[in-house]
Amino acid sequence: MTVASRPRVAALALAVGLVLADSSIVVLALPEIYRELDTSVAGVTWVLISFNLVMALVAVPAAHLARRFGPGRTGAVGLAVFAGASLACGLSAELGTLIAARCVQALGGAAAVTAALELLPAATGSERRAVALWAAAGATGAALGPAVGGLLTELVSWQSIFLFQVPVAIVAGAPILAIARHEAETGILAAELRSTGRPHLLANLALAMVSAAIAAALFLLVLLLIEGWRLTPIGAAVVVSVMPLAAFFGSRIGPQVAGTRARAAAGAILVSGGLGGLALLPKAEVALTLPPQLLIGVGLSLVLSALTETALAGRAPQAIHGGWTISARHAGVVIGLLAVTPIFTADIAEQRRDAIDAGTAVVLDSPVSPLLKLELAQRIEDQLDDERGRVPTIGPAFEPLPDDPEERGEVVQLRDELQEQLNRGATHAFSPSFGLGALIGLLALIPIGLARRVDL
Amino acid sequence: MLLVAGSIAATAALVLAYLAAGGSSYAPAQVQDPCQEREWRDPEGLQQLAEQFSLSALDGAACELGVSRETLARALATPESRERFTRRYGIEDSQLARAIRAGLLRAVVDAEEAGALNPLIAAPLRETLRRIPLEQAIELIDDAEVLLDQLQTFLGPAQGLLEQFLP
Repeated sequence: MTVASRPRVAALALAVGLVLADSSIVVLALPEIYRELDTSVAGVTWVLISFNLVMALVAVPAAHLARRFGPGRTGAVGLAVFAGASLACGLSAELGTLIAARCVQALGGAAAVTAALELLPAATGSERRAVALWAAAGATGAALGPAVGGLLTELVSWQSIFLFQVPVAIVAGAPILAIARHEAETGILAAELRSTGRPHLLANLALAMVSAAIAAALFLLVLLLIEGWRLTPIGAAVVVSVMPLAAFFGSRIGPQVAGTRARAAAGAILVSGGLGGLALLPKAEVALTLPPQLLIGVGLSLVLSALTETALAGRAPQAIHGGWTISARHAGVVIGLLAVTPIFTADIAEQRRDAIDAGTAVVLDSPVSPLLKLELAQRIEDQLDDERGRVPTIGPAFEPLPDDPEERGEVVQLRDELQEQLNRGATHAFSPSFGLGALIGLLALIPIGLARRVDL
Repeated sequence: MLLVAGSIAATAALVLAYLAAGGSSYAPAQVQDPCQEREWRDPEGLQQLAEQFSLSALDGAACELGVSRETLARALATPESRERFTRRYGIEDSQLARAIRAGLLRAVVDAEEAGALNPLIAAPLRETLRRIPLEQAIELIDDAEVLLDQLQTFLGPAQGLLEQFLP
């Protein structure tokens, strides 16, 4: 890579990271969007699903467009569309408009990402380096997305996540626009490469399955932290930033100690193990989510890069095969979200009922006076109404605390026991969905194992 | 292979550690079936007897309606919550009244069996409860102390004896 090509490489990596971060960047903002746009959990999930679904559907056609009209031109137009749609997302006041804008964002994003893969070999001077950089930029973007989104949601608003992307897309687009101008002046479009083979089905299948598991992990963990354990978006962002940190560590050690197949298998096992740990949380404590996150972070960096490299190795044109990996990853995210959302929403409703029943039993069997019990029951009922079906914070129902020290002690104990039941319910509600994610991750070992013998 | 073996070991260690710490049973406590007998604590005085009586009545009414004691307790907290409850479970006011009366009668039986209420009081109490209107029955389930006060009135000249029959 020459000094002159460095800004171009940086711009291309930034474009890839920016677009692929979008598949997860709104995860921490979903509870905020859910409340502000007055929708349902299933409805708000479509803010994520729509983007990933369109990415999955258009990634390969977008790669063909990049081949036909030139990667510079396609990339520049794609980023412009992405920036415009991001602005529209940021200005959306209704769920329908937001989802429509997200679809357009994905159209532009798919064009930019696949075009970037076509442009990177020339900019880096090596096809292998280009693929590794493209895969790493995508994995970094996807891993960093939730933390950045959480920070922006807490410090500014959920809309700022999208508005923030507009200038970033413009910065990334400037060097790509220069390439587009060069294409227009010279008439040189893509390098004329002979097509070498069909997409790597097993690697792409494994990529889809692992992406489904990772999407489930991120989506569910964020909802558990914010909706279940009532962390602020910034608090949740700090907690989930363990995953990208672990992913960074994994990306440094992985390639040095093993080949692509071993990295893919080890990564899938770690992602499943982390999800298994989240399914078996023994207490509602943030610290207990850290070891599973470490496993998932290291695992995702190993498996995503290994499978992407496998899917692209020896295949041309890179943009088309890169398009297939993007398509597989985003299809996996959609499948993961569609698989866990109904289970999770049904479970949280059931667990909420069980937790409230268990909490009421604590109140009824407590030593506080019957009149105070009745008063507390009324306040708890009001608090539940205010929380609109969410897992409630029960503290306000106990305010003000009684003046009598003995009664005060009893009420505080009662409040803590009731909150413990609610925490148990919230945590337990996520277990089956985390378990399903772990199973999907483990199943990815089948195509990874088969790819050892058969190379489709 | 070292990387794969390390991943398996890390995964197994995490899952086993969380299982050992109780990860498979971290869920809300299960509430008791209201149709099953619930142990009576030894009441000390009228207030505690009234409280045990209310809980027993709630169990009986909940059993009759096929809901948990806890769901019924929340439903009876306010007129609005009661309306939501009857709408959700498709329960008529007359059904609710029957259930609450049945609950109050069960409370009398439970109190009698627990030795907390003398049979001489239990018999007239049952008669009173069979004729009680819904609103008053709900009030009684909220605070059975009222019931025991009313019982004193109902017993008229014999009310002085009441205290002797209460523990």
